[in-house]
Amino acid sequence: MRMLETEVLVIGGGVTGVGVAWDAALRGFDVILVERRDLAHGTSGRFHGLLHSGGRYVVKDPVSARECIHENRILRRTHAHCIEDTGGFFVVTPEDEDSDYPDRFVQACAETGVPCEEMAVAQALRREPRLNPRISRVFRVPDASVDGFQLTHATAQAARQAGARIFTYHQVTDLLVAGGEGDVRVVGARVFDAVRAEEMEIRAAMVINAAGAWAGRIAGMVGSRVDIVPGKGVMIATAHRLVNTVINRCKWPSDGDILVPAHTVSIIGTTDVPVADPEDLRIEEWEIRKMLAEGEKLIPGFAHTRILRAWAGVRPLYRESAVTDDRDISRKFTLLDHQERDGVAGFITITGGKLTTFRMMAEKTVDRAAAHLGSRKPCITAETPVPGAEHGPYWLGHRLREVEDGRLQNQLICECELVTRGMLENAARLNPTVTLDDLRRDVRLGMGPCQGGFCTYRAVGVIHELKLGHGVTPDTEGSDWRVADLQSPAGNPGRGRPPVSAPEPASSLADHLYDPNLLLRDFLQERWKGVVPIVWGQQLKQEQLDRLIYLSIMNADHLPDAGLKSPLSDFYGVDVTPNDVLEEPHD
Amino acid sequence: MTDLLIIGAGLSGLLAGVWARRQGLRTRIAATGLGATHWHAGTIDALGYLPGEDAPVRSPFAALTRLTAARPGHPYALTGEAGLREALAAFRALLDELGLPYGGAANPDENLLLPSPAGAPRPVYLAPAAQLAGDMSRPEPYLLVGFQALRDFYPTVIAENLTKLGFRSRAEFLPIELITDRRDFSTIDLARAMDSADLSRLANALKRVAAPGERIGLPAILGLRRHGQIIAALREAVGAPIFEIPTLPPSVPGLRLTTVLREHFERDLHGRLDLGMTVIDFRAEAGRVTWVASRASARPVRHRARRFLLATGGILGGGFHSEPRGRVWETIFDLPLTAPQKRSRWFRPDFLAPEGHPVFRGGVRVGPDFRPLTLAGEPAFENLWAAGNLLADSDPISERSLEGVAIATALAAVTSLIKTDV
Amino acid sequence: MFNADTWLPPEASLDQCIKCNICVSYCPVAEATDFFPGPKYAGPQAQRFRMAGQPAPDLSVDYCSGCRVCNEVCPNDVNIMEMNARARAALVAEKGIPLRNRLLGRNELMGKVGSHAPRLANFALHNPVSRVAADAIFGIAKEAPLPRWSTTGTFVDWWEKHYPHRLISDKKVVYFHGCATMYYEPFIGKAAVAVLEHMGYEVIVPPQNCCGLPMLSNGEFKAAGKLYDNNLRKLGPLAAEGYDIVGTSTSCTLTLKEEAPHLLDRHDETTQALTHAVWDIFEWIREHEDELPRDFIQMEMVIPYHPPCQYRAHRVGRPSMDVLALIPGVEVHESHARCCGIAGTYGYKKEKYDIAMKVGQELFSFILEEEEHHHTEFNACDSETCRWQIEHGTGQESRHPIEILAAAYGLYDLETRTTL
Repeated sequence: MRMLETEVLVIGGGVTGVGVAWDAALRGFDVILVERRDLAHGTSGRFHGLLHSGGRYVVKDPVSARECIHENRILRRTHAHCIEDTGGFFVVTPEDEDSDYPDRFVQACAETGVPCEEMAVAQALRREPRLNPRISRVFRVPDASVDGFQLTHATAQAARQAGARIFTYHQVTDLLVAGGEGDVRVVGARVFDAVRAEEMEIRAAMVINAAGAWAGRIAGMVGSRVDIVPGKGVMIATAHRLVNTVINRCKWPSDGDILVPAHTVSIIGTTDVPVADPEDLRIEEWEIRKMLAEGEKLIPGFAHTRILRAWAGVRPLYRESAVTDDRDISRKFTLLDHQERDGVAGFITITGGKLTTFRMMAEKTVDRAAAHLGSRKPCITAETPVPGAEHGPYWLGHRLREVEDGRLQNQLICECELVTRGMLENAARLNPTVTLDDLRRDVRLGMGPCQGGFCTYRAVGVIHELKLGHGVTPDTEGSDWRVADLQSPAGNPGRGRPPVSAPEPASSLADHLYDPNLLLRDFLQERWKGVVPIVWGQQLKQEQLDRLIYLSIMNADHLPDAGLKSPLSDFYGVDVTPNDVLEEPHD
Repeated sequence: MTDLLIIGAGLSGLLAGVWARRQGLRTRIAATGLGATHWHAGTIDALGYLPGEDAPVRSPFAALTRLTAARPGHPYALTGEAGLREALAAFRALLDELGLPYGGAANPDENLLLPSPAGAPRPVYLAPAAQLAGDMSRPEPYLLVGFQALRDFYPTVIAENLTKLGFRSRAEFLPIELITDRRDFSTIDLARAMDSADLSRLANALKRVAAPGERIGLPAILGLRRHGQIIAALREAVGAPIFEIPTLPPSVPGLRLTTVLREHFERDLHGRLDLGMTVIDFRAEAGRVTWVASRASARPVRHRARRFLLATGGILGGGFHSEPRGRVWETIFDLPLTAPQKRSRWFRPDFLAPEGHPVFRGGVRVGPDFRPLTLAGEPAFENLWAAGNLLADSDPISERSLEGVAIATALAAVTSLIKTDV
Repeated sequence: MFNADTWLPPEASLDQCIKCNICVSYCPVAEATDFFPGPKYAGPQAQRFRMAGQPAPDLSVDYCSGCRVCNEVCPNDVNIMEMNARARAALVAEKGIPLRNRLLGRNELMGKVGSHAPRLANFALHNPVSRVAADAIFGIAKEAPLPRWSTTGTFVDWWEKHYPHRLISDKKVVYFHGCATMYYEPFIGKAAVAVLEHMGYEVIVPPQNCCGLPMLSNGEFKAAGKLYDNNLRKLGPLAAEGYDIVGTSTSCTLTLKEEAPHLLDRHDETTQALTHAVWDIFEWIREHEDELPRDFIQMEMVIPYHPPCQYRAHRVGRPSMDVLALIPGVEVHESHARCCGIAGTYGYKKEKYDIAMKVGQELFSFILEEEEHHHTEFNACDSETCRWQIEHGTGQESRHPIEILAAAYGLYDLETRTTL
């Protein structure tokens, strides 16, 4: 069995985990991070993309509001390219007019230091013509839109550059424990490497459990009880942007009251349903109807606009005592030092919180770990830009601008989201690729209106050619994965005309899992999973065209190796058992 | 006065137009735009798989009884085996006449198996002559030749899968400059470029990479107007069987098929085809459709005709629309549909489900004379017929019966509407 | 037709797109050049990356000629051309307008200026030296088929002379002549008046100005809006009184009917009344077929006919063909070509001239084959710039179908283009 040693072992490749790895590595610790799937596969990649100004929490949870505005300002510097400065509106819709909430909101913004300015409705409508013209008041706050995939990747790359080692598709199967009754100490973890299909042991002086909604399971391996209530939230994305500003309802936070412009789409979210299992991501019909109905209040016609996709994420809500409504469980983060709490040394759990405050969570966590490990180096993440921040803030047109400039040099593989062959090859070359979904998170493959209809076949072909040495994109210098250029067509230039002979096979693909037919089937099914809950109208027509391509033209249901499965094939299963509950259940 | 107004310019609409015009009917076609032939492989799929079965159908005619037992309202149950045979033969004769010959298996009862662009065997009944040498019952090993920088065709994937299936296969790449100097191109652009390209360069390059005895599979880009000559010249110059494999849409074989049918209808037969005309309204009096109206600038245009043929396709063609709550409806006449009207009953779990998805099987029910029926089972209108993929009880994409259904029902509907006095 | 509750800007129609590529298969410009990446790319695909208030990310949309073949073949009713036109307007708003486009967009101004001394203007514009200069300085292609000013006075000069002799009738119809008839081809207007009066209608020619299309297609939306408003003031009251307004320039009538309101977001009641009143002249004649006299002369001629893109964009079928088919002995052969290439002012631009000529090739070949097989003397087309382009590309003279109809009543000489 392979053995590795490190000072700090981080479990979980969401934004919190990579934040911890980054911070710890910057403070000079030797760090390994393990993630059982791809980075940001969990909650960090399944939210609405809102970088909070804190406005949402000013009335209900002033501590969170203060944390949000503090972190919002920092991340705009350290992770500039992951953030679009959309600004945010809190709008009073006719439904919310008879409430004193708007005045309380203004007051609470002043108290928590969240900048807030009332603006004329007409001015807001000029900026956002699709917004409900019947709104009565508008407040402007510094909300922004943030790409959770890129935020996680960029932070992970910063961690790597600071010396951390990051292993994806490495699942913790057990925690290694030393000592006995009254003197239990976590000394590492047993890990299964799904790519090489082998077991390994990682020994560490400190194990940090950043597994998010799965943190309870990890803690349970050493008998520590950590009650996480996974709170499922459903979001839906429209086929194109309806607004360019984050739109919030100015009312007590509830379901479906945020609409966020994220890249080429608008996302509305969310519902909030406690679930027993963080993998239980089934989306109910009533949740979709609710999102459509709530969207209609913000944008007239929303319920008739084309919807691309629905997905669910799970909030890792930590329960200190029994509470009935989820949303009343703290959104503040929770740091559990198991030595103090349960007498288990060498083990810290960080959970709860929000994506916006991940850096602060990481700082507090590493502070605590450092105290145990005997280091006094200060945290410098607030002053350290991650790779890519030098590109400056995200703007919607950047891909199109770059594709235009190099249009005749590089083929567009995903036409909807403007993913070039160069982007795809570089991402596939340097990031373990178990499924095309991994590449989707890197470059937005298949995230547009056709939902993989055209690019699935192309991506499979490109990766197959890459594997056989027919890649067309020059290798990036050295072995470093240029995460800073991950999403940039210009950062992954093609040679235009590839070499026709003398191939050099690429080696970084997950070998024993690699099968082009499996990649194809998995991605088609993965896309289908997110389409089924919202497919009707024009998207139904789109799916029928996609079926024509993969059944009639490709005959993809009769390719060899039909029985092969990837570690994620089952995750892509869709449950279509009818549940005709059309209204939110009340109990 | 127009004798027949056809709504829809897909395969069934165009063929119905041709057949009706040839019978002397003053025929017009009005459509929103062009249809599914542009997306498909250009082959004629009559019946490739029975619902839920994994093995390809050997003979579509022999399998009909089992198909119609499982799906009693299937359009083939209405045309019958004879109707299907007659329509496929008529189609083949027509395309021979138009200079775009189609062929099939040695045994005219059986399907061919042709390699798909992913390397899986596609059961088709008729294929353009250019695709026939791909026939998987032939002994020659495959050489799949691609062009790097062509994003819609991946020969290494095809070769690997064919090898896994037991066929000797390998892949090679050639530079795209053999065909075009353009840097931004679709498969259609390449086909157009082939029409005027110097074939000797491509032929020499193919000769260099091909081993004796191999057959050469190329992406379907071998010319539009001069397609026949190009294939013949390449075969001659290279001295090997050369065949086309369809690509991702846009489909060159589909465009060729549409073009010959459209030109025949418009130029040879002087039929009128109007695109950009979305039919949005109709008027009926005493059980007869008197006019339909299409969307136009400033004001709708009314079209009067003695007979109307609805060939708007189903969900894919745009003949049906659907909404979040699960209602699916026919967009012009609001004819009753057999589709489940609840979204929770629309789908199966797997995208590639061999049984298909219930929502895609729903359609317009017609009587034996191809007139749409009311819920009570009566013809909805005396002078309205329907043909093509909007018909009920067939999922042409999972059955691989897309063109077969279009062709057989187009002929059956035209035969019926001509016989009917209106 | 317009419904304020359901109306969405043309950009919203990108949601209809299923990426099926049919538009790509038929776009004549993408076929001719690498500079235009195709209607799907420039339209519904790029639109998702455009945002008001941000720099325009793509310049290639400027290569869209606006011919609308994409809209015509699209099975999903996506307003691709409108999307492109509005994207170009954003580009113009951001980067300014080349002087060349200002000149080409000001069709009416050019017309007026030249009409003061048409022979001099024709010489100034058409001599090889000045064309080379225009090419170099303004980027107006030196070979492009620019029109010639009428040397016999403008249409309104003639109309004023004709006015006392006009037919007086209870049946009245308003004639919109457009700039080309006004300054370059007054004989088209004379033919139209002759036919309308032959049908028993009293013709009203109110004050009017350029429809604004040249500016719309060059992205000058503000200026186009002013022109539209002026026309609304001049024609609106007539529309409100219930008069039909017919035009012989099919692109002008399309602009008044649909394109300007659509692109400029005009949907008030007066605008709607105007759009409903406007007809292309053959669309109107076909609608009034029962009032059309049948005293035709036997003509014995084959006429190759090209329904221009702008006519097809009305989505009313082929009214000119339907009407000409009534003339005994006339055999109309439809071109089935996609576009002549000129697309308004597109083909006048130096960098686009070659593209326009390549695009026109399928039409030119058709006309020349017809000439060879049927010894045709004229071809017919409803749009002036297309006629000039066809003449330029084939050397064969081109006529407006109204000229042919007028000739069929013995009211017009097709050869000399004069009313009899």
